[in-house]
Amino acid sequence: MIVLSVESSCDETSVSISKDGKTILSNIVLSQIDVHKTYGGVVPEIASREHVKGITLVFEEALQAANITKDEVDLIAVTKGPGLIGSLLIGVNAAKAFALANDIPIVGVHHIAGHIYANHITKDLVFPLVCLVVSGGHTELILMKDHYDFQKLGETYDDAVGEAYDKVARTVGLGYPGGPIVDQLAHQGEATYPMPNIDQKDSYDFSFSGLKSHIINLVHNIHQRNETLNVENLCASFQEVVSDVLVRKSVKAIKEFDAKMFIVAGGVAANKGLREKIDKEIHDVEVVVPNFEYCTDNAAMIGIAGYFQYMTSKKTDDMTLNGFSRVKLME
Amino acid sequence: MSELLKSLVIDSATSHLYIALYHGDDELEAYYEEGHNDHSVKLMSELEAMLKRQKMHVKDLHRIVIGIGPGSYTGLRVGVVIAKMFGWTLDIPVYQVSSLALLASSVDEGIVIPAVDARRGNAFLGLYEVKNGNLYQLKDEELTNLKAYEEAQTDGKTVLAGKPNLRLLHNSSLLVKVEDIHQLTPNYLRLTEAEKNAKSS
Ligand SMILES: [Zn+2]
Repeated sequence: MIVLSVESSCDETSVSISKDGKTILSNIVLSQIDVHKTYGGVVPEIASREHVKGITLVFEEALQAANITKDEVDLIAVTKGPGLIGSLLIGVNAAKAFALANDIPIVGVHHIAGHIYANHITKDLVFPLVCLVVSGGHTELILMKDHYDFQKLGETYDDAVGEAYDKVARTVGLGYPGGPIVDQLAHQGEATYPMPNIDQKDSYDFSFSGLKSHIINLVHNIHQRNETLNVENLCASFQEVVSDVLVRKSVKAIKEFDAKMFIVAGGVAANKGLREKIDKEIHDVEVVVPNFEYCTDNAAMIGIAGYFQYMTSKKTDDMTLNGFSRVKLME
Repeated sequence: MSELLKSLVIDSATSHLYIALYHGDDELEAYYEEGHNDHSVKLMSELEAMLKRQKMHVKDLHRIVIGIGPGSYTGLRVGVVIAKMFGWTLDIPVYQVSSLALLASSVDEGIVIPAVDARRGNAFLGLYEVKNGNLYQLKDEELTNLKAYEEAQTDGKTVLAGKPNLRLLHNSSLLVKVEDIHQLTPNYLRLTEAEKNAKSS
C-alpha cells in the first residue's frame, strides 16, 4: 500500500511517500526556519503564507523523488492537529483537493501519533511499550498495548519541555530555536548551579514552569550582583534536571507496565543530553529513538501513523475533514 | 471564451463562500452562503456534493477561476490552495481574479465600490464599473479607511456582499491566467504585523 502523507502543523511544509507503513520512499521537508529566525520565533500568519507558497511544489518533489505516479497512491494521510490552525488548514485542504481530484481515500492523523510512529521507521514497534513524547508543544508519557492504542499516563501541567528550552535560551540571550543551542552549550559545561526539585511525587505528570522561573530569577540576581554568568554551566544544570525527571518517570512506567520497548517521540528526542541519560539509565528494555531526520516535524511519520490508523480502524475521512489547533490523541 | 468551457469558480476571501459551476456562460449551480469560519469544512464538501449533483468530476473541468483577495480572512487561503492543487494535479488552467472584481460583478449596472472589511473602519477597496454587460476596473485596489474613501469618491455604490456573476468577467482582462501554478498565492495587499515591525525597527 502506497501512502502519500502531508504535514503542515507548524513551520515545515512536508510531503512523503511511504510503502506498507514501513518503507520511506521519499520525505521532502521545506523548512521555513530561516524566514522565522528574523522574528525570534514562528509567526503563525507568515507560516501559513509560506505553506501556501510551497505546497504543490513539495507534493511534486515527493512524488518525483519516490518515482511514484499519483495513480499508484492508495491512501492520503494528513496531519489534522494539534498545531497552528492557519498552517494546518493549508495541508488539510491541499490533501483533500488531491484526494478528491484523484479519487483516493483520505485519513486525518494526529500529529503526536505521527511522532510516535516515527520510531517504527527505525524498528518495528513491540508491545506493550512506553513512549516519552517530548516536543515544543508536548510532554507526555504514553502506554501502548497494541498498534494505534494510546493510553496517556501523564502529561505536563504547564510548559512543554521544548518550550522550557526556548525560554531558557531567550533568558540568557541565545538564538532561536533555543533547544539545540542549550543542548550544545550544556555539553561544554557542568551542572554547578543548584536547581529546584521538579519531581511531581508519584505521578507521571510533569511541571516545568517552576524551573523556568527559577532560572529567570537566578540570571536576574547574577546580573544584579554584577557577577558573570557561566552560560555553559547554567545550560548543563538545566539540562541535567530536565533529562533526569523525564528519564526517571519513564523508568517507573517501564517497570509498572512491564514494557518490552521504550520509545521517544518529538523534536526533543534529538536532544543529546536526553539521549545520553536514556542510554545510561534504561537497560532492560529495547530503546528506540527516531533517526534525527524523523525527530523534527516531517510527513514520513504521518504516513506511517496514517497507515496503521487505517489498518486498525478501516475508517477514512470525508471532505468535511478539518484542522484543529487542539485535538485529543484518542477520541 | 468558448461557449463549451466547464468552469469552476471559487471565492473564499470574505466571510461569504462562493462556489459555482459554469458551462460556458450558463451557471449550472452556485453556492453562496455566509460562513461561520468554516470555509475549510464547507468548501470541499459543498463542492463534492455539487459535482455529484451535476454528474461531474474535477477532471471534467476546463478551467478554474479563483478569487485571490485582497483580504486578511483566513478562508482566503483555503480557496487558493484548493484551486492550486486542482490546477497542479490535473493540469487544469487556473485563472486568478480579484475577489473585489467578483464582488463588483454582483451589480448589474453602474459604478461600484466593492469593500471587504479589514477591521477598525478599514476595508480592502476597489472601484469598478459595470457597463453593457462588462466589468471594468477604474482604480487600483487599496486598503484604507472606508468612510474617507466613500467621501472622496462622489459616485459609486458600496457593495459589502453579493453573489458574483462570472458572465460579466468572461471577456474581461481581469481574469489572468496563472502561468506557473506553483507561484499562485493570495494577494494579501498588506504585510503581516511582524513584517511591518521588522521594517520599521
Ligand atoms: Zn511536532
